[in-house]
Amino acid sequence: MACWLAAHAATSSPLARVEEVLSSFASRDTSGEILTAIHHIPAREAQWAQVPGWVHADLRAAYEAKGIRQLYTHQAAAAEAVRRGRNVVIVTPTASGKTLCYNLPVLNAVLENTDTRALYLFPTKALAQDQLAELYDLDERLAHRFCVYTYDGDTASDARKAIREKGHIVLSNPEMLHTGILPHHTRWTRLFEALRYVVLDELHTYRGVFGSHLCNVLRRLRRIARFYGSELQFICSSATIANPGELASRLIEDSAEVIDGNGAPAAEKTFVFYNPPVVNRALGIRRSYITEASRVAQEFLKASLQTIVFTNSRLHTEILLTYLQHANRPLPGRPETIRGYRGGYLAGERREIERGLRSGLIHGVVSTSALELGIDIGSLDATVMAGYPGTIAATWQRAGRAGRRSGSSCAVLVASSSPIDQFMVKNPDYFFGNSPEHAFIQPDNLEILVNHLKCAAFELPLKTDEKFGSVDLAAICARLAEAGFLHKTGGQWHWTQQAYPADTVSLRSVSSDNFVIVDITEASEVIGEVDFPSALTTVYPKAIYLHGAQMFHVEHLNFLERKAFVKRVDADYYTDAIRYTQVRVLEITQQARSSEQKPAIPAARSHGDIVVRSQVIGFKKIKFFTNENVGAGNLELPENEFHTTAYWLTLERALVESLPFCISARQCGMFGLLHALESVATLLLMCDRRDLGTAIGERPSSPDPSAEWDVVDAKNSLEKRRSEEKDFFEPNLYLYDAYPGGIGFSEPLFIAHDLLIRKTRELIAGCPCDFGCPSCVGPAGERGEQTKHAAVAILERLVA
Amino acid sequence: MQSFNDRLSRLAALRPAPRSTEAPRFGETHTHSDEDPLIRRLGAAVLKNRYGEHLAVRQWFSSPPPCQAAPDVMHFLLPLEKREKKSSGMDQRCHRIADFDAICDPMQWLFLDTETTGISGGSGTYVFLVGLAWWDTVGLQVEQFFMRDFGEEHAVLMELAERMSSRRVLVTFNGKSFDWPLLETRYAMTRVLKPCVPLAHLDFLHPARALWKLRLRSVRLVDLERHVLDAARLGWRRDDDIDSAFIPQFYFDYLRGGPVEPLVGVFRHNQMDLRGLAALAGKILATLPSDQSVRHSEEDALDLVALSRLVHKRGESERARQFYEQALSAELPDEIGRAARRELAMLVKRSGNFTRANALWKELARGLANGPQEAFQAFEQLAIFYEHREKDFKRAANICRRALKLLRQAKTSRRYLLDPIKSAQIEARFEHRLKRIDRLATGLFRAKQGLLTETVGF
Repeated sequence: MACWLAAHAATSSPLARVEEVLSSFASRDTSGEILTAIHHIPAREAQWAQVPGWVHADLRAAYEAKGIRQLYTHQAAAAEAVRRGRNVVIVTPTASGKTLCYNLPVLNAVLENTDTRALYLFPTKALAQDQLAELYDLDERLAHRFCVYTYDGDTASDARKAIREKGHIVLSNPEMLHTGILPHHTRWTRLFEALRYVVLDELHTYRGVFGSHLCNVLRRLRRIARFYGSELQFICSSATIANPGELASRLIEDSAEVIDGNGAPAAEKTFVFYNPPVVNRALGIRRSYITEASRVAQEFLKASLQTIVFTNSRLHTEILLTYLQHANRPLPGRPETIRGYRGGYLAGERREIERGLRSGLIHGVVSTSALELGIDIGSLDATVMAGYPGTIAATWQRAGRAGRRSGSSCAVLVASSSPIDQFMVKNPDYFFGNSPEHAFIQPDNLEILVNHLKCAAFELPLKTDEKFGSVDLAAICARLAEAGFLHKTGGQWHWTQQAYPADTVSLRSVSSDNFVIVDITEASEVIGEVDFPSALTTVYPKAIYLHGAQMFHVEHLNFLERKAFVKRVDADYYTDAIRYTQVRVLEITQQARSSEQKPAIPAARSHGDIVVRSQVIGFKKIKFFTNENVGAGNLELPENEFHTTAYWLTLERALVESLPFCISARQCGMFGLLHALESVATLLLMCDRRDLGTAIGERPSSPDPSAEWDVVDAKNSLEKRRSEEKDFFEPNLYLYDAYPGGIGFSEPLFIAHDLLIRKTRELIAGCPCDFGCPSCVGPAGERGEQTKHAAVAILERLVA
Repeated sequence: MQSFNDRLSRLAALRPAPRSTEAPRFGETHTHSDEDPLIRRLGAAVLKNRYGEHLAVRQWFSSPPPCQAAPDVMHFLLPLEKREKKSSGMDQRCHRIADFDAICDPMQWLFLDTETTGISGGSGTYVFLVGLAWWDTVGLQVEQFFMRDFGEEHAVLMELAERMSSRRVLVTFNGKSFDWPLLETRYAMTRVLKPCVPLAHLDFLHPARALWKLRLRSVRLVDLERHVLDAARLGWRRDDDIDSAFIPQFYFDYLRGGPVEPLVGVFRHNQMDLRGLAALAGKILATLPSDQSVRHSEEDALDLVALSRLVHKRGESERARQFYEQALSAELPDEIGRAARRELAMLVKRSGNFTRANALWKELARGLANGPQEAFQAFEQLAIFYEHREKDFKRAANICRRALKLLRQAKTSRRYLLDPIKSAQIEARFEHRLKRIDRLATGLFRAKQGLLTETVGF
């Protein structure tokens, strides 16, 4: 560290060096297309508040000994709200002292009454471990007046009894609560009888399927707490999203007070959007963002600025690590100064890297999302993100890793050519403005709810007048009894199965109907599971299945036993399933004109229930990097049918006919538009591309039921369709929830329709490609040359 | 358009639950309106207490007969850590002499075995049948409490607490990890009833495992009945016993108005388990070594080894030694024989009987081909003996050299006696020892020489 810094320290401050690096970027960007945004965030002063008078003198002294004599305003506000008995959700950026927001009121309550218990839930085990250090430190300063433990899969069985009896604060995760604590609640009597606070950290991660499950786990938790006479108060913390209060109150099914006035100080920061230069304008191909990210990181490292590089996959972590280590060879006999950090590393190695970063012995680290949350690594000078992390919230969390309180820091987002990345770097306002990201859950998804209802019945007989979500409990219980799960006696439903229901319910997928992946390269070994719907498109025979950057060839698929047998291979291609999808509308929940202001625009929007019938009929082999199609195969797999919810846009006849294109170009335009709509929808919903399905179908013009199924997949069966040259008169463009029962995306999309259309138009119009590229309407080669123009033409008519 | 019922029909979560048995649902069925045919089939009575009703079946059996418990064997049945004050062999928790007297008096024991709706535990697993048994002067009383429905659970638990308060020593087979925790869960679920905590809980699975696992490998109660208890003379036959894996399903079927006949089988199964437990208790008490007990010469040598280990673990080295010697004088399978010799050698070494220990080590060292690990251990022990005890460095060094030679021979001929890693570890240990001995030997030589020079110098 010393000599590394010495070279520059004499001549300039870190602030000046950050400036230098930035200006060197700017000087090279002659076309002005590379640095699409340079956003300065001025330093902010701390907003102070007094430690509330009710805080126990010993706790106050313990914090003072740590150097905390005053609170930031949001910390004081949170503590006061908790004191008043309110559920709260604290919305503040990284490194703003949010743990104090819950530790202070909880510890105060424990000091006031030693019987008080609290349960902290973190989305990952690592985060819980990280919190432990802070709480141990406070415990030390409070002369061991409270006990805090982590309780997870790694907890030794002989330690568990002590935790159950003595733990004032138990740090755990939703999975452990679901399978380890709630089904055995009688062993946790001491905890539940005095349980008062539940802390939900990183609340924004509980969205979609995971959030819908967590909501049901919390329903079960409240039930058990009530059984022991406890009412719970929730303290949540969330990254900045558009609807933290709504998300919190949906999850805890109660009102929650939002605390969002951040009072923590922050140093000056520069945020740069870096778009790799275009090398082939016609095809919209840009220089590799991985190489560009490595160049950017190298400039920071050369200027002796401690740098963290984030990637979105383990593979990319390794590639970037190799580049950067090669460029920064340590002196002979000295340890590496650039290190990698990801899930697969051993705990000891990780701790060593964390220490090295804090002490400055390590100059640069390349990490997956593993370092995004919580873990204490001190603050660095620069963050480089190789690819958009997927959500604005995660981007800010990663950027927050750089930012020494005293100096200035810099965050650079290097965009990949994916539509979302391209949209982000071209629409900086979308990013820097108020967060447009909404987190949604659908806890009453029947598949999810019924699974948790089983768990609930196991934990405690269900009373016939009980409430669990907003469903007709009597009807469901009657069905569960018919199916052999429950038996009714004296106003209560009892569990009548030997099996332990929580074991078969995974909080990360909707249905527990999973395919097991068995690696038969050597001895048979189970390497993972995929849920039923994705199994059909990822582990069909001869597919290349990617698991942790390793490629596997699917040798055999046993459909009945739900097993896929794979062998390790080293292929230069991947496979893409060709799916034939049909959609049928079952029920329209809501329908409106596309534009409320201009109802004359010939288009409509709807959301409702649909049935999706899809079949994988073949696959394509696609070469890595060049994306050449190098082969194909046919498959005969069973058809998959599921009911879900969808949002759809109907282009009415007048609109379609006004398009100055031939029929096939119009179709291409629609498929291109749908591709772009899907990209923007995933942004708004903070979800993954695989959470949404797309399809185009004709609006049923007649009540003829045979016509209803006349719908095709948007992704891969275009050629098939085109050969048939079918004319769509009034097409529906569907965006559906790719989970049986739906996961709550459809109504929000219906409501956000205007924004969706506007942002999609910005995405396509802002793309410099000529005829469409993967960043906007999909690769030009796969569609027609008119795709992009036709898509733009449709969008213009939608907003006209 | 889509009714709620339609939507429910499609749910994977509502697909019929798997049945553990497709056993024919034979016999009489019952409806909740008329009298339960179980009452007639079992000669059961409806018991009533302030929490409601439940069924009770009471029976008397002449076998197994009551047994005696010598106070000095009782400590084998109590957990080790509670026995630190060994003076009187008394459980520390039982401060009062009266309590210990109760523990030592089999007539005050209460045998317990439950039938449940599952084996995974957790708050959704119910105990639907509680079987109790105790000895009267000539035979065994068996009483079973049964809940005809979940609503009768409180009454059953209440009755159980009552019975347990009059007989405060609980005796089970695997009850410490299964039956009792499950019952504790059931009591906790009532929020009103408290279990009656026994003075002591004797779980006979543990001594049974210690005594017979070596010979039988599996120590399920049925195995013990067959191979330890002389099944022919027990007074019951398991021929038409039910498969215990089906028990939960039989109960669920009964709850839904299914046949009662399979449940009659469950009651009988429970009775046999209780009688088996009582018989096993008698057998274990007779087998555990007391001051008065004599070992039979025809006793199985494997059982003697097991007994030696059990006694040894309890710190009674002299008695352990006797059993080991007795076992070794009989035929033992090679592997067990080697283990027994090794254990006995260490035991007598500690008591200072090096002659016997050396003899055993030499025997083990000779068995290199079949028991290389024990053989090298024996070499090491012999080297230690000559180095530290006898100060015969030359001999100690020779033993090390011999062991090293054998190890290296094996290595060069690539016919490893042990796996290579272990082999390398042992080799390193002998090399280290040899170096030290050589150093010591020369040191001693020099010292002697020095002494000599000094003498000459005079």
